Amino acid sequence: MSLIETEKLTKIYGQGETAVTALDHVDLRVTAGEFVAVMGPSGCGKSTLLHLLGGLDQPTEGRVIIAGQSLAELKDDELAAMRRRQIGFIFQSYNLIPVLNALENTALPLTLDGARPAVAKDKAREWLGRVGLGERLMSRPDQLSGGQQQRVAIARALVAEPALILADEPTGNLDWRASDEIAALLRQVADEWGRAVIMVTHDPRIAAYADRIVFLRDGSIVEETRLGAQRAENTDWVNGRLKANS
Amino acid sequence: MSVRHALLGLLARRPRHGYELRAAFEAIVGGEQNWDVKPAQVYTTLERLAQARLVIVEAIEQESGPEKRVYAITPAGRAALQEWFTCGVERDHQRDEFFIKLMLCLISGEADPRQVIHIQRSQLYRELHAVMAQRNRLDPKTELARILLLSKAEMHLEADLRWLDITEARLAEVQRQPLPEPQARPRGRPRKTQS
Repeated sequence: MSLIETEKLTKIYGQGETAVTALDHVDLRVTAGEFVAVMGPSGCGKSTLLHLLGGLDQPTEGRVIIAGQSLAELKDDELAAMRRRQIGFIFQSYNLIPVLNALENTALPLTLDGARPAVAKDKAREWLGRVGLGERLMSRPDQLSGGQQQRVAIARALVAEPALILADEPTGNLDWRASDEIAALLRQVADEWGRAVIMVTHDPRIAAYADRIVFLRDGSIVEETRLGAQRAENTDWVNGRLKANS
Repeated sequence: MSVRHALLGLLARRPRHGYELRAAFEAIVGGEQNWDVKPAQVYTTLERLAQARLVIVEAIEQESGPEKRVYAITPAGRAALQEWFTCGVERDHQRDEFFIKLMLCLISGEADPRQVIHIQRSQLYRELHAVMAQRNRLDPKTELARILLLSKAEMHLEADLRWLDITEARLAEVQRQPLPEPQARPRGRPRKTQS
């Protein structure tokens, strides 16, 4: 069963002659443990799609269903709770709070949701450990590298144990190596921790970490490529490729 | 490229017989699945190198099975190897099967060029996914050479993917232009130009 599903998801900005269709009847299903990359040229609707999936914006038509629940049927406070508990967000610019250390930043979603600080910090410590920052709990964002800051953001996205992770250009501000590490970590989020990960990116190398790539153009899905679950075949492809390159 | 130079390079280190040479070559390229050199190719190459006096048969070992010729490099062989090290390696990027497929798709009208591009893009992404998965399984402390070879494949794939995007974006423009045709060239000896 899919964890998140969209039906004819459509977003039109403006009205009449100036109306712009940002998203045009998109049907997408993502299952738990699946890592999906969304690609396409600027203005193709990638960010709109992510905002609608995360309940940050309302569709003009169609709907988003997360864990069997249609977002449109939720009241405002229910939607807010869904966002806090079921969806983790990761952004290009990390969006960490500068005056808080890694532990406090990571614990924030739980603290805001009313968890006891000690409980929130325990969970935050646990997730920071899993993303490889167990030694940097007390560091503030300005004391961490870009890659480390994005790891904190990933720990923060996971701390409330959401089923769905939405990442908007998570490697957009990172160098080659750090990008790789973050993409590998998102791979782990899907593989080991069973989360559904939907990532918008324009970087082919980063997209190639996913199980599936969805290509958007002018608001519609024009192509889909499955990369994962064919690993034996993949090995043959690689070897053929290396041969061709020699 | 020449297996010939690789064999000279391996012999520059120490004399070996054909079987050892083939195994050493395969170890460097990361296994026969990457670059399969048949034993026959190794032996014919060694024979040619011997005829050119770049290697000599230093000894013939015979234990139980067939005899093994142990080859050693000669001073002329070392000079040929040196020459190889002093020149650059040409790449043949303009000889490209996908490009010709796309051109023939445009010329023949037998397939939708966008579809052909989409299929190729999927193919390249699957390769890239597999290359990176392989690379990430290797240990940079002991298998760096292999990692670098995979990184090279990765970078080429990435470039090919970007090229596909550009080509797709400009497909309509290409279709509006006349496709490359052979240029009529006069036969026979070119006429003398008058100055």
